[in-house]
Amino acid sequence: MHGQELHLDNFKGDFLNIFIFLHPQIPDIQIVPAGWQSLLSFTILFLAWLAGFSSRLFAVIRFESIIHEFDPWFNYRSTHHLTTNGFYEFLNWFDERAWYPLGRIVGGTVYPGLMMTAGLIHYILNLLHVTVHIRDVCVFLAPVFSGLTAISTFLLTRELWNQGAGLLAACFIAIVPGYISRSVAGSFDNEGIAIFALQFTYYLWVKSVKTGSVFWAIGCCLSYFYMVSAWGGYVFIINLIPLHVFVLLLMQRFSRRLYIAYSTFYIVGLVLSMQIPFVGFQPIRTSEHMAAAGVFALLQAYAFLQYLKDRLTRQEFQTLFFLGVSLAAGGVFLTVIYLTYTGEFLFATFNTKPSLPPMLRYAKIHIPIIASVSEHQPTTWVSFFFDLHILVCTFPAGLWFCIKNINDERVFVALYAISAVYFAGVMVRLMLTLTPVVCMLSAIAFSSVFEHYLGDDMKRENPGSVKQHPFYPVKNISVYSKPIVTMLMLMLLMMFAVHCTWVTSNAYSSPSVVLASYNHDGSRNILDDFREAYYWLRQNTDEHARVMSWWDYGYQIAGMANRTTLVDNNTWNNSHIALVGKAMSSNESAAYEIMKSLDVDYVLIIFGGVIGYSGDDINKFLWMVRIAEGEHPKDIRESDYFTPQGEFRVDKAGSPTLLNCLMYKMSYYRFGEMQLDFRTPPGFDRTRNAEIGNKDIRLKHLEEAFTSEHWLVRIYRVKKQENRQALDHKFRNIAAKQKFTSKKVLPSRFH
Amino acid sequence: LFMKCSAVKSMILCFGIFALIACFFRASLCAEGLVNEDVKRTLDLSSHLAKITAEIQLANHGASRVSGFTLALEAELAPHLAFIGVKGEEEEDESLELKETTVHGQSGKFFEAQLPSSLAPGAKLRVKVETVFSHMLKPFPTHITQAERQLVVFQGNHYLYSPYPTRSQTTRVRLASKTVESYTKLGNPTKSDETVEYGPFKDVPPFSQDAMKIHYENNTPFITISSVTRTIEVSHWGNIAVEETIDLRHTGAFLKGPFSRYDYQRQSDSGISSVKSFKTILPASAQDVYYRDEIGNISTSHLQVLDDSVEVEIRPRFPLFGGWKTHYIIGYNLPSYEYLYNLGDQYALKIRLVDHVYDDQVIDQLTVKLILPEGARNIHVDTPYPITRSQDELHYTYLDTFGRPVLVATKNNLVEQHIQDVVVHYTFNKILMLQEPLLVVGLFYILFFTVIIYVRLDFSITKDPAAEVRMKVASITEQVLTLVNKRLGLYRHMDEVVNRYKQTRDTGALNSGRKTLEAEHRTLSNDISALQARLKAEGSDLAEKVGEIQKLDNQLKDLVCRSCQEAERLVAGKVKKDAYIDSDKTLSGKRQELVSRIDSLLDAL
Repeated sequence: MHGQELHLDNFKGDFLNIFIFLHPQIPDIQIVPAGWQSLLSFTILFLAWLAGFSSRLFAVIRFESIIHEFDPWFNYRSTHHLTTNGFYEFLNWFDERAWYPLGRIVGGTVYPGLMMTAGLIHYILNLLHVTVHIRDVCVFLAPVFSGLTAISTFLLTRELWNQGAGLLAACFIAIVPGYISRSVAGSFDNEGIAIFALQFTYYLWVKSVKTGSVFWAIGCCLSYFYMVSAWGGYVFIINLIPLHVFVLLLMQRFSRRLYIAYSTFYIVGLVLSMQIPFVGFQPIRTSEHMAAAGVFALLQAYAFLQYLKDRLTRQEFQTLFFLGVSLAAGGVFLTVIYLTYTGEFLFATFNTKPSLPPMLRYAKIHIPIIASVSEHQPTTWVSFFFDLHILVCTFPAGLWFCIKNINDERVFVALYAISAVYFAGVMVRLMLTLTPVVCMLSAIAFSSVFEHYLGDDMKRENPGSVKQHPFYPVKNISVYSKPIVTMLMLMLLMMFAVHCTWVTSNAYSSPSVVLASYNHDGSRNILDDFREAYYWLRQNTDEHARVMSWWDYGYQIAGMANRTTLVDNNTWNNSHIALVGKAMSSNESAAYEIMKSLDVDYVLIIFGGVIGYSGDDINKFLWMVRIAEGEHPKDIRESDYFTPQGEFRVDKAGSPTLLNCLMYKMSYYRFGEMQLDFRTPPGFDRTRNAEIGNKDIRLKHLEEAFTSEHWLVRIYRVKKQENRQALDHKFRNIAAKQKFTSKKVLPSRFH
Repeated sequence: LFMKCSAVKSMILCFGIFALIACFFRASLCAEGLVNEDVKRTLDLSSHLAKITAEIQLANHGASRVSGFTLALEAELAPHLAFIGVKGEEEEDESLELKETTVHGQSGKFFEAQLPSSLAPGAKLRVKVETVFSHMLKPFPTHITQAERQLVVFQGNHYLYSPYPTRSQTTRVRLASKTVESYTKLGNPTKSDETVEYGPFKDVPPFSQDAMKIHYENNTPFITISSVTRTIEVSHWGNIAVEETIDLRHTGAFLKGPFSRYDYQRQSDSGISSVKSFKTILPASAQDVYYRDEIGNISTSHLQVLDDSVEVEIRPRFPLFGGWKTHYIIGYNLPSYEYLYNLGDQYALKIRLVDHVYDDQVIDQLTVKLILPEGARNIHVDTPYPITRSQDELHYTYLDTFGRPVLVATKNNLVEQHIQDVVVHYTFNKILMLQEPLLVVGLFYILFFTVIIYVRLDFSITKDPAAEVRMKVASITEQVLTLVNKRLGLYRHMDEVVNRYKQTRDTGALNSGRKTLEAEHRTLSNDISALQARLKAEGSDLAEKVGEIQKLDNQLKDLVCRSCQEAERLVAGKVKKDAYIDSDKTLSGKRQELVSRIDSLLDAL
């Protein structure tokens, strides 16, 4: 045994000798293990990219290369506009097909980063004669960016801890469902690229705090600029970084590095962020951005006081300090009062998608349209585990390691973790911001454990590893605990990988434009009703026809049917949506008046009663009623749609208002005659498991224009008014009056 | 009144003149002496096309040989003509060459057919004239509801429109259904089931016309391809990619009022004139067939691979009712060996100019784009029928540098009979095949070269002496580590030698082992000292530690030498075994201690 070891050692020595011999020209700087290490890191990162990319392709393989869901259709449509008409045309784009009759200034109301990125990639590829369709660029953008996210997470974690933890973090973020949910192939949404921008900005910020170099700070600003252009979630950055600075000040960790980093970041970042048309002057006007400004002022004051401290006596300094503080406080107070008074400064601004959760809480109570969106619901414990699996258990350990060995950048990651956990608890959507930090901290925890339990074996090969972690005494580990713990950890990781793949495959890989059902023998039926109906609209209606539908389908109608819609998923005008809701929930003649006033040609609804699709318009109907009631409380009352017992029923016991409203009539028109199978009576709604209450539906002002194969989409045509009898038309006779001329002369005219 | 009179007079005059001219031409034509002895016309109106075939027995009653004859089409029908062909009686006869001509004084369209061998006086000849007209059947009423059936009107001629007198003729009309609203009753025709038979008509003068009108039910698919763009991309790597972008329209009676899915699903005769699906036949070697539109794959289609063809059941996303239209793309790959022939650098591509889309197809407008490989020259096209060539284009796709030549051609009003091969000849230098792989290789070469340059060279604009020193020191310590480890290895090797010596008692081996140890040890120690000196020169405090290691190593080496001597003494019998074992134990204990101290020093490096 001894001899064998010797042999090995000799061999290794020879090998190294050969290596040295092969590179005689650079004997000074050559570091052999570093070369292997970087090759290994490169390979792992590459594989992480590959794994992340391929696990996002379920939807493409099962269905096709298609844009998913709702918002991505708008993004795709505007990217398509960008690539066909050019950059300036896109910035000036007035979309007359949305929000009829208002229209939408798209260039000024979107975060253009996503479209720009896809457009740029498409442009470069076409320049190289790689003739890829813009649709494919859009479909595969998010999976490609997931690789970049993995790399930036690696970089950030390496700055926080070490290379090993970085690699683990990169692997985690590549496959974690919490991030995959927003970045599968086809999900062409802002979040897909924003998480990369977020992580990269944080990496550059940590780097600039560490080095205190303007170069890194400027890099951080540019990355921040990209983030601002890509997603409304940039507010998270512009609040977290000041918070970091503030906490560092409280912890007496002020340094010149910090001063340089933050001053550069704030000024340049502010100016850059204001270049995005949609953001405009918000960074200096809204309360969401004020923390950054306040911390900037505080940092300047702190630095100034530090400067003075060296030059003044203690007594002088104290006087000056109190004077300065009170003056500053008074000044700030007066300015805020003045600005609020003149309306320059908006204390509580919200659009319909508030970016900060506290505002969301307020909005949820007062604006039903926000509460109606499922992704604005609070997160359940189950979804934490579902999206993060084992990481949700291990990340507190990582956080503990960071706090135990605190330094400037670990303060940052601790704050990041705490704030992200809070946000994720408020609404499901923000699970996304939590995911990266959970990956990083879990990677730190796993990496520490592995170093602890695998560290001794590596001692011979890499004598440096023990030195790096002095807080780990490599003692008192029994020989048997090492393999057991290692095995357990590896099993956890394996189960994590299995869970990630399973979740991705089952929960996050449905395009939701195409539905699939499975027969008993496992064969698949594709229900392509949405596209059937949208394509019918596209081909067989007038090019300028106006389609009324609930706002959920606005983007899809614009994207797939290319027709004018009244309301869409950019829910900026609540009263317009309420008007549509009112039309849907009124009786036919009242609705006809509204539709006439809105120039509606077609009405599109989703009806799942035939196949049992639960996301249809009848199930969403109460939200329409509520939103309509919010604006028209006199005409629409939610209580009218319930039975006296307070139930929402579509059968005979349902309230008469419901049974005669437009939505009900359109959904169930001629459905009463339809017998789906022999066990159920005709007109049996499979979604709500009830026999409908109003079977004899006659439409007076509408006629059925199209119904898709499984009745999922029904389109009605609004009939034109019948011709009236021609009236005798006489020209108006106006008796000529005597001309009146003023005798006064207006002097000013002539001077 | 006077004015009217004069108008009538001038009209009469005009007629007179026309009649004279007509007589003259008739005379001149009759001078040829050709007579239609017997004509059997068949009007096939069972689809949405009007296919008129006439089997004519021509007789030369003139005095001279006749080398050709003239075919005539009525002025009302001529704009709808999609195809005309003349064949001999037998199936395998070649079709005759046709040339368009004009006949003075007669409206309509005229073709001059060349006979393969001229017709002697008194001889007879049977020919078969096949014509296909599109959009001749007009839906009437023009708008129907979903429950109604589609009725169409055909307006034509009872007689054969011909520049020659006809002795006897019959006209047989095939309809799509038994239901006939009305039909003209010239010569008391007989109607049975789906056919109406007129005639026989005897001795019809040339250019006779008599309006025939048939109003009947026709629920066959009235679909028209309003435009199709067929792109054929040839690759010399073995593939031909074909893609057709098709605009389809139902040109029957428009749908009036609502479309009820309930009725359509529950009643079989609801929407009977609508089109749910049709079959497209692709070449047998077609692979990777796709069928999609702007918003993605159309999932309602089926593909069936047969022995001699590939059948795609094209089902548009929605059933096509009157006036509805749709748009789709169908594409597939073909292996090039079936269509591309070459002789040296000369290539010939033989492929269908237009292919089958559905039975009895009508294409209003066809655009063919033939993309040849980059570098194809001397392009020459042989088309089966005249087709309008547009300006050639250039097409750029993967790895192209100067573009592929694209031949563009258009033609209007095509039917099934136009499915014929086009032959494209061109020259292509085979060396050019290497261009694309070389391009990729070059690209990777540049990429790797850039990475090498970037990694190996220092591009920083500021020098950081401390970092440089740190790196130098790190590399030196790394070397020290390897050397020290190697030296420790030497001792272990020596142990081996000693052990073997104890067994074999071969003093020579021991001495040589000792010598090599000495020599190697010296070189290694010298190397380490040199490195130590360099460390000192860099100003690193690690030099001291290396010195310490050296010292410890000297002791270690002494121990090794002593154990060696002890072994010698044991072998020589100078020491007893027990004493030797004791001393060996103490020696190895000391050695262990020294090695662990060196290890800890190494760790600290």
